[in-house]
Amino acid sequence: MPKHYRPAGKKKEGNAAKYITRTKAVKYLQISLATFRKLCILKGVFPRDPKKKVEGNHKTYYHMKDIAFLFHDPLIEKFREIKVHRKKVKKAVAKKNKDLADRLLNRPPTYKLDRLILERYPTFVDALRDLDDCLTMVHLFAALPAVEGERVQVQRIHNCRRLSHEWQAYISRTHSLRKTFISVKGIYYQAEVQGQKITWLTPHALQQVLTDDVDFNVMLTFLEFYETLLGFMNFKLYHSINVNYPPVLDPRLEALASELYALCRYMSSGIVPGNSEPAKLVEDKDESELRLAQLQHQLPSNEPGALMHLVQESTAADVEDDDAKECRSLFKNVKFYLSREVPRESLLFIIPAFGGTVSWEGEGAPFDETDEDITHQIVDRPTQSHVFLSREYVQPQWIYDCVNARIVLPTEGYVVGRVPPPHLSPFVDNNAEGYIPEYAETIKKLQAAARNQVLPLPSIGDEDMEKTLVEAIIDRSASNEVAEKKRKLEMLEQQYHDELKMEYEGKTYSHTKADNPTDVVDNDSEAANNHVDDSYKQAEKDAADISKTVMSRKQRGLLEAIEIHHERKKDKVNLLKKRKKNAESSASTKGR
Amino acid sequence: MGHSDGDHDDLSADDSPWSEDIWSDDNEGSLSFEDSGEGSDAESDETDALAAEESDSSEDEVAPRNTVGDVPLVWYKDEEHVGYDISGRKIKKRDREGRIEAYLRNADDAKNWRKIYDEYNDEEVQITKEEAKIISRMLKGKTPHTNVDPYPDYVDWFEYDDKGHPLSSAPEPKRRFVPSKWEQKKVVKLVRAIRKGWIKFDKPKEEPNFYLLWGDETDTADNKRQGLSYIPAPKPNLPGHEESYNPSVEYIPTQEEIDSYQLMYEEDRPKFIPRRFDCLRSVPAYEKALREGFDRCLDLYLCPRTRKKRINIDPESLKPKLPSKKDLRPYPRTCYLEFKGHNGPVKSLSVEASGQWIASGSSDGTIRVWEVETGRCIKVWKVGGVVHRVAWNPQPDRHILAAIVDHDLLLLNAEIGDEEVQMRTKKLLHIEELAPEEEETGDKKPAVKWVNHDKFDGIMLIHHKAVSTVEWHFKGDYFTTVVPSGDSRAVLLHQLSKKHSHHPFRKLPGLPIAAVFHPSQKMFFVATKKFVQVYDLQKAQIVKKLESGVREISSISIHPGGDNVIVGSKDGKLCWFDTDLSTRPYKALKTHLKDITSVTFHRKYPLFASSSEDCTAYVFHGMVYSDLNQNPLIVPLEILRGHSSSDGRGVLDCKFHPRQPWLFTAGADSLIRLYCD
Repeated sequence: MPKHYRPAGKKKEGNAAKYITRTKAVKYLQISLATFRKLCILKGVFPRDPKKKVEGNHKTYYHMKDIAFLFHDPLIEKFREIKVHRKKVKKAVAKKNKDLADRLLNRPPTYKLDRLILERYPTFVDALRDLDDCLTMVHLFAALPAVEGERVQVQRIHNCRRLSHEWQAYISRTHSLRKTFISVKGIYYQAEVQGQKITWLTPHALQQVLTDDVDFNVMLTFLEFYETLLGFMNFKLYHSINVNYPPVLDPRLEALASELYALCRYMSSGIVPGNSEPAKLVEDKDESELRLAQLQHQLPSNEPGALMHLVQESTAADVEDDDAKECRSLFKNVKFYLSREVPRESLLFIIPAFGGTVSWEGEGAPFDETDEDITHQIVDRPTQSHVFLSREYVQPQWIYDCVNARIVLPTEGYVVGRVPPPHLSPFVDNNAEGYIPEYAETIKKLQAAARNQVLPLPSIGDEDMEKTLVEAIIDRSASNEVAEKKRKLEMLEQQYHDELKMEYEGKTYSHTKADNPTDVVDNDSEAANNHVDDSYKQAEKDAADISKTVMSRKQRGLLEAIEIHHERKKDKVNLLKKRKKNAESSASTKGR
Repeated sequence: MGHSDGDHDDLSADDSPWSEDIWSDDNEGSLSFEDSGEGSDAESDETDALAAEESDSSEDEVAPRNTVGDVPLVWYKDEEHVGYDISGRKIKKRDREGRIEAYLRNADDAKNWRKIYDEYNDEEVQITKEEAKIISRMLKGKTPHTNVDPYPDYVDWFEYDDKGHPLSSAPEPKRRFVPSKWEQKKVVKLVRAIRKGWIKFDKPKEEPNFYLLWGDETDTADNKRQGLSYIPAPKPNLPGHEESYNPSVEYIPTQEEIDSYQLMYEEDRPKFIPRRFDCLRSVPAYEKALREGFDRCLDLYLCPRTRKKRINIDPESLKPKLPSKKDLRPYPRTCYLEFKGHNGPVKSLSVEASGQWIASGSSDGTIRVWEVETGRCIKVWKVGGVVHRVAWNPQPDRHILAAIVDHDLLLLNAEIGDEEVQMRTKKLLHIEELAPEEEETGDKKPAVKWVNHDKFDGIMLIHHKAVSTVEWHFKGDYFTTVVPSGDSRAVLLHQLSKKHSHHPFRKLPGLPIAAVFHPSQKMFFVATKKFVQVYDLQKAQIVKKLESGVREISSISIHPGGDNVIVGSKDGKLCWFDTDLSTRPYKALKTHLKDITSVTFHRKYPLFASSSEDCTAYVFHGMVYSDLNQNPLIVPLEILRGHSSSDGRGVLDCKFHPRQPWLFTAGADSLIRLYCD
């Protein structure tokens, strides 16, 4: 008799009734596997782990309720309609019925995902919580080559680009970016929207290769959902800051592929005119777009302070916590100029998000390189030939490090042609990890120094002075530490002297003899101490072990797992320390 | 007969078939090639080709000299002129040559045959070679020019495919003039469909894609997700320092480390190897970007999700709370004495009933007796074989040592104590030579033979096979030995006073390991590999069968109360049986890393100990309450170290002092240690 035998006519119970394998689910729904996949992706249905896997261990199980949930979705019917439509078109083409084919192709059945989004994310915060994957995916597709004939439609890539820029513009405008990190995989950003931390990854702005080892059908289905989701999210977010959503961009800037800047500009101007534009828009799109763009172009005027103006306005508008305030004013009085070779899109996003003003080399830039007020020029080249004395020339990493440290770091480490200090991840809790990299400590000191500073930062123009000031503060804190150490040492010394004195007084005779034996005794006692230490350790270990003997097997296993975990962590830290030591020693030998 | 220039044109057009009538007056020799004819002799063959090509145009330009028109030249036969030129002057006839003169001139001239007399203009014309060729071709009935294909392929202007006949002569049918019924039906259908809006021609209107989806979120009832509880997917791990494009040096593995990754299992191998770039511009595109995105997608829709509780507990809280060790004192804690003297691993030791002496047997072939207080070796027997086990007689007035030497059992007089006692033991260890041959009936070897041992003044019990253990009854008269490979005669009972042995157990569940007497009752415990059998000796029947659940039992000890049994196993586990409670272990303690060699109870204190090959001995507090409702209390107390390993063996035996909380351990490093409180 099989293990799960059930008499005929008796209904299934328990896990056998609650869970269904994928194959059975597909049969139950009477759809193809591809459609099932698509449906699962769109509806957010995932397999679940039953306690008892009745049909076998290597199968995927879905909850019966989930399948019923799919079963009642109108999307199934829509997919069938699409299939039928495809067949009709095929037939019409085969019969050379061009009229019918054209007519059919003209009105293909379509579906919308707004209902699904609301179903999956009933509140806005729910959607925000799940936005990480969405953003990463959209940014990834935005970086794919928009070439006809590839597996991804050009239009979708453009749509992804637009959506990602809209999102970035919102983040930048509300100054809700918190952390950035340049990794080998791309640039990570973390923003905080409505109390939710959202992290996403944008690939480096280089040509991605479409590989063959991925199934684009699956990815594109995900993308389909994500595009819609992000569209609605952007709408809601733009609505919340009182900007019209499908933003209309300056076609000139758009053509120059600086949509982000165009968007920023749109948002800054969008607040002022209010709702008068959309009415115009609907009637005559193309023309009004142009006119509007021109209008906007004039409205904020060419002066670079437009964004700053916006920033000031918004400060008055809404109340924000300290974090946001800190972020907004990080680059408050700093004016940046980007060279041709730096990742423009990323920096154009970050710098305004932290209150800075930025321009770049190229057309459509708000101000050019010769501007007197530029304080920092971001360059990434081995040498800088022409140098303006009034500004700092720094590598792009400086911006990212400043953002993570939330202070304006001294620029000397990031000067052109120098290998910049290590770029550390802001997502790591160094204390929990048990290892603090050297540069993290330096930054910490700098932060402490900046916090202690009573004086407001002197104007950024004389960077050198500020730098020296910071250094001085660091020095001071360091010297304080040193002084404390010294005091301790002195105390110890004093004590030792006192003891010596007492000894001396106790046995005034033969103090020369007394000296040597004490040394010997010291040595002996040291060895003995070591021995005792060892035995103590052994005893402690024994004490720990002995209680293990009476533990149940399960608990012992748990304890051992925890211990192994600790051990591994320690090993990792030790490895890092060892490497560091090796590197230092090799550097010192080289230095000689 | 006269012909116009148009005729020449026709000729040179080649393609059109030439008509006979143009050339019918050929015999009159009226070809006129003025240009080529005039030059006659001067013409060279090279220029002929050119001239022939240009002849068409030149003919057109040059008008005939004679303008007389189409009149018979016979009319001018008698005149001096043949006609008039273009300005109206008479064209004079040439002087007639005599025939002879003409013949002579012709005979001299090789080109004569090409010369033709033009009557009309009254002159002689010379034909070029090409013209001659044309004439000759025409005479043969061929086309004048060589490159004319007279028989080109016929190109049909009507398609005959499947028609039988190119054109039908049938009258037009009526249906060609009457509107089609079916067509009309179709039209009606379409019209209806269009009217009812089933067919739409205009493109669907573009609706705004996005709107305010999450309007007001005040209504909490609507904001509940339908269906099953949603398990959000775990977020991808955030990048650490090592993923930076410019990490600190310590995060970059050395080349050897990277190479060593290749030796790892594929799933253990780190997927990401940190790299360092000097500047941002040198960072390349990440080639696995798409792949990782795809993997994440797969994780999202293919991975089963469950809620897992991640417990974040302090490991200390997992450890059970043990009663304070201070309350459980005294127990052996530190090494107090070391008994040195053996040259090989001390395999066994035994404490005399009074606790004054201990005996030890070693594989160097000696049995030694030591005084506990001083640690002095009092007596040495060189038995000349490996001593597997020694056991004192538990009776204080019988100083008899039972020792297993090689395969057999040796009973020795320890020769300590006062004279009287020594005499008595001597008497006990004496066998009257009764000629035991009368028993030799069958072919089978007797299980045991009692023989006097002359050298040591004792008794030798010669077993049929190798003996492994010996154990005394508490009264000191009976003892038992175990012969593991003895089949039905594996467990033997011996009576010292009668010098008699027998084997009461015919069948055992597996190989016997050890056998022990109950400390107070007439019960008997036999430990086989996995079970402990409890026999009632009086009724001669099995009482209980304890299942240890360990792989292989190595030693057994009975609590002085008799209801509790501890069993040590070769997988380092120690099982405590409460025979009143269950036949399964009350508690199994995983203590040692290696085999347990021996377990022992203290006779007076609530202590028990185990020794193992991993060079340690554990001391436990094992309190058994007289109240049956209360389970025994077991507390691990101390790990005793000190022995060193030799040949992979550690502590081989341990025994408690009968009165003091002291523990003796015998080590493979040929030492005996005494641990005291």
